[in-house]
Amino acid sequence: MSTAEIELRNVRKVYYKERLEIPVLEGLDLDVATGDFVVLMGPSGSGKSTLLHLIGGLDTPTSGAVRVGDANLERMNERQLTAWRSRNVGFIFQMYHLVPVLTAAQNVELPLLLFRMSSAERRQRVITALNVVGLADRMDHRPNQLSGGQEQRVAIARAIVTDPRLILADEPTGDLDAKTSEEILGLLNVLNTEFEKTIIMVTHDPRAAAHGKRRLHLDKGALYSDERATVRAVAAASS
Amino acid sequence: MTITYVLMQNLKRNPLRAALTATAFSLPMAVFVAAISLVVLLANVAASAAKELRLGVHQKTSLTNLLPEGMRRKIEALDPQKEHLHAVCGMRWFGGRVPDTQNTLTSLAADADTFPIVYSDVQMTEEETARWLSEKTACVVGFATAEQYGWKPGDRLTLESTVPPYLTLEFKIVKVMQNAERSSVFYFRRDYLEDSLKAAGFDDPRCNIFWIKCKTAEGLRTLQQRIDAAFANSPEETKSEDENAFAANFTQAAGNLPGLMQAMAVVVVFIIALVAGNTMMMSFRERIRELAVFKAIGFQSSRIFAIVLAESTMLALIGALAGVIPASLFLLLVPIRNLRMGPISSFEVSPLAIVVSIAIALLVGLVAGLWPAYQAHRLRTVDALRKVA
Ligand SMILES: Nc1ncnc2c1ncn2[C@@H]1O[C@H](COP(=O)(O)OP(=O)(O)O)[C@@H](O)[C@H]1O
Ligand SMILES: [Mg+2]
Repeated sequence: MSTAEIELRNVRKVYYKERLEIPVLEGLDLDVATGDFVVLMGPSGSGKSTLLHLIGGLDTPTSGAVRVGDANLERMNERQLTAWRSRNVGFIFQMYHLVPVLTAAQNVELPLLLFRMSSAERRQRVITALNVVGLADRMDHRPNQLSGGQEQRVAIARAIVTDPRLILADEPTGDLDAKTSEEILGLLNVLNTEFEKTIIMVTHDPRAAAHGKRRLHLDKGALYSDERATVRAVAAASS
Repeated sequence: MTITYVLMQNLKRNPLRAALTATAFSLPMAVFVAAISLVVLLANVAASAAKELRLGVHQKTSLTNLLPEGMRRKIEALDPQKEHLHAVCGMRWFGGRVPDTQNTLTSLAADADTFPIVYSDVQMTEEETARWLSEKTACVVGFATAEQYGWKPGDRLTLESTVPPYLTLEFKIVKVMQNAERSSVFYFRRDYLEDSLKAAGFDDPRCNIFWIKCKTAEGLRTLQQRIDAAFANSPEETKSEDENAFAANFTQAAGNLPGLMQAMAVVVVFIIALVAGNTMMMSFRERIRELAVFKAIGFQSSRIFAIVLAESTMLALIGALAGVIPASLFLLLVPIRNLRMGPISSFEVSPLAIVVSIAIALLVGLVAGLWPAYQAHRLRTVDALRKVA
């Protein structure tokens, strides 16, 4: 097995609109090491979300191979992919997508409904996840009683409560002000360094990009400029 | 937390809409319980009447035109071997009422010797039959009437007739009848009426109707033809009808109630299905992205399908219970038997009605949830989320 946690080989993704081929990804190769923090940038419509969805098993490539850990996603059917996602990926979206009628703690607990475990353990996991994102004192609040930044923290707690190896974030700060964005990005850094999560984050914001260890640019169906972001850049951006 | 809890919380998302939709279930289900109970009752009455195999013979044009007493012999002579015929019981309308009250009781004078045979469904014990035969003032009374006036077996009472010559007679109760279809009927001996009429100067031993207990349904048809043929073109031309025909005439007079109710039920069920389906579709559309996230998290499509369906069914169940429970309590607590409308006196909430109403609601809830559940099943997370950006 290759040392890379994620391995994409010659991945093509083509959409069809009224019989018209819309090629989005044209033969991508990508390796992501365990514990990496990859920032994915690129113009709107360049296929960043599409790439993230392929890695997260939400979609399958038109051709090519997507391996995450020891799972070959391109060979799995929808049922298998869904089961795989529940154990291996945590998603964070721009719009949080919390269930408005459930409290913060209940929202975080949702993914655990798919697992067989005692209610005590479930509770413990929820509290731990909320502690990590610093919202343990708001656990009985409903989404409409929380600020945007707090909602995104709850969404992050929901993404990590099953302890997945991979976290995929699609513009997680796209709807937040600069200060709150920094807090959320700092939290992602903590998950990456302290909890050793492999993270891939899509963003438009150059300041947000500085938080990653590695930056990729997607344009016209290909990945460009695989430059290393220095640890110093992270320090500079967060100071 | 369980998925059921999540479902219940979901119903609170738009409480007014959920409440209105639930009401769309509860009101019709409340009516269903009452209506189905009524149909069950009518069916029971018809069924028990059929079992009794009774044929009623009355004057062709009207029940109010009296037939001579000798008719009984003539009818009996039509089947001397008693091949089809069991017994014949002549009856005369008395139209009695309790003094100082307004309601005329369905009070009938019946042949003393054959009444216990022809009305075997009254189920008189040997002792009661003996008392009926030995005491001239004996009477049997339906339970609803007995309850209304506080009468018990052994009690003495007085009725005054509302038809000429306005006799006032004394009676002694030998039995309270428990039959649903005879809950407010009063029977007494015809020889007592005859003698009392004679004493008042009216020698008129005629009858309104002769009830014939038959041995078989086939025998009933045979006798029916024989009797009407025998008296055709005579001053006593008759019309014979079995009790079922009587019940059918009664329901026809009420405008084919069960059929009408069925048609209305179908329309109503269709309307609630539309209302509930619309609600479920709206609530699904509002939550497309949320359900997409459920799928991203790892909920299988089949599970999402079940969740949407369960929510719709739950709403239907809550609505149905909110209608059926109060309706049943109302029907149980309000003394409907006091209406004294014949068979209605034995009205009770049929367990079948409750089961059927709730089953209909569940079915409608299920059907209403099918389309949104199917939409949720085939929903693709990537497409649903893209619509945000
Ligand atoms: N289901 C689809 N059908 C057709 N075209 C699609 C579909 N999904 C995405 N696309 C197209 O693919 C391209 C890449 O989309 P996306 O991955 O969302 O880009 P990004 O996230 O970089 O903005 C866009 O041009 C988009 O219109
Ligand atoms: Mg995107």
